[in-house]
Amino acid sequence: MRMLSSLGGLARQILFAALALLMAFPFYWMVTSALKTNDEIWRSPPTLWPEVPLWGNFAAAWNEAPFARYMGNSIFVAGSIVILQIINSGMMAYALTHMKFRLKGVFAGVILFGYMVPATAVYLPGYLILSELHLLNSYAGLILSNSVSIFAIFLIRQAFLQVSHELVEAGEVDGASHMRILWTVLVPVTRSSFAVLALITFIDQYNNYFWPMLITKDPSLQLVSAGLRSFFVEGGAYGLKWPLIMAASAFTIAPLLLVFLLAQRTIMQSVNMTAGSSKG
Amino acid sequence: MTRSKFIGGLKPVLFTLPAMVPFAVFWLAPLLYVLYLSFTEWDFMSPEKTFVGLQNYTDLLSNPAFYKALKVTALFCIGSVLPVILLGLGLALLMNRKLKGSALYQVLLFSPWVTPTVAVSIVWSWIYQPEAGLANAVLNFFGLESIGWLQDPKWALTGVLLVTIWKSVGWAMIFYLVALRNVPSDLLEAGDLDGASPLQKFLRITLPLISPTTLFLFVVQLISALQAYDQINVLTQGGPSGSTRTLLYLYYQSAFESFQIGEASSVAVVLIFLCMLLSVFSFSISKRTTHYQ
Repeated sequence: MRMLSSLGGLARQILFAALALLMAFPFYWMVTSALKTNDEIWRSPPTLWPEVPLWGNFAAAWNEAPFARYMGNSIFVAGSIVILQIINSGMMAYALTHMKFRLKGVFAGVILFGYMVPATAVYLPGYLILSELHLLNSYAGLILSNSVSIFAIFLIRQAFLQVSHELVEAGEVDGASHMRILWTVLVPVTRSSFAVLALITFIDQYNNYFWPMLITKDPSLQLVSAGLRSFFVEGGAYGLKWPLIMAASAFTIAPLLLVFLLAQRTIMQSVNMTAGSSKG
Repeated sequence: MTRSKFIGGLKPVLFTLPAMVPFAVFWLAPLLYVLYLSFTEWDFMSPEKTFVGLQNYTDLLSNPAFYKALKVTALFCIGSVLPVILLGLGLALLMNRKLKGSALYQVLLFSPWVTPTVAVSIVWSWIYQPEAGLANAVLNFFGLESIGWLQDPKWALTGVLLVTIWKSVGWAMIFYLVALRNVPSDLLEAGDLDGASPLQKFLRITLPLISPTTLFLFVVQLISALQAYDQINVLTQGGPSGSTRTLLYLYYQSAFESFQIGEASSVAVVLIFLCMLLSVFSFSISKRTTHYQ
């Protein structure tokens, strides 16, 4: 019996090793393809590891398109959005959980309603409104149009609900303003929710493609996904330079995998919180 | 007194403004605007929008491309949501018992989720490359014929779905792992005492207790399937011959490629309606049948 279960353990071990290998293989394939010559990459059957790895392909791809600019755009836009969302979600959640006002029910209802609207379905009218506001092709448009997230409001609201009113009332008795109570009392005790918000929003916005691509035609404003995609279509003429395209994909993906490795606890923790905030 | 009361009443509203103003401008206004546009005919260029009543909707209902997109959307939803949930649950169940190196496996299985869809779709389009791609090399290795993964209308949707599933399955697994850990062990032990088989325990105790997670994943995956764009845009652009053109992709193409703003808006309204229906439906189910602890 014990032998059977240890056999089962071994089988599971092998199964998971195989699965993990399978899931990670596209990343391995990307890197090895990036290191091949244009001749070798077309060989059939393919070689598992390049005969002579061309590490210079990474530098060559980096210099073929303004990737530093794209990444800078992504970091700047995603970072600004994170800051704005922390501020407005914090304030909104505070009003919804620790303040009394007449329109509260209406506001909460409107936001819940917004939760059901698929963002992509309103990209066309959103585009037209942005053009009326003269915000197309600008950092301001990229940042402001993404500055509010219903998910973020729900997440922070859920965290604030677990903070007792007494803590807030104690602050009020001390004569602290609501702003002060929010940022010096509530935010510190719910900082893990804010960390999750910051990380998830940053990754989402850094990777964002569809909406930023629609509202910016100027190549110097492109985020990294749109930049990579234009390199794929134009520079690579749909795949005549596959090694360089794979190299470019690799240095687009690498920073995110690195962030994930460094912050995996927080990111995995987000699962607990997103599941929780959907119940509230 | 009345003054301070007035300020006291105003302050909460001031707190909501930083969120409510962008929300109104970038969510509510577009929502109303798209509803209005769906009753008009407009091509982006001409100064006037012509009011045409329900014509865009009646046109849509007699347009075979719409029904085709509806069918592709349904296939895309089923073909991505069910595998992600079933595989996610299966993996979580296997991983829930003690397993050496499970932390490493979790990281590896989860990692596709954090990577940009556009970049990984480009990698997959190289894997799917008909002559020198890895996918066909594997098929050939096992003595099978090559497939036009993204070129053959029979296979293109499968190709796009594989990338979609690959990206989400580890994410679903983590959700289920958390849910399984929250199943109280005394309930399972009580099942043991009553002589329940592992399958009975799973069906009677575990599955009902993790049903909120199942419902959550179902809704989130369904809504993201209805909105899938990045991978379709990189891999197939809705082709070949419309075999991967979902409602969302049809909407995008009629708006930004053929500039049929009215027609596009009516597709958007259908899409919004579908999402709301699903949300309300799942909300009422969760109230009635799921077991919260």
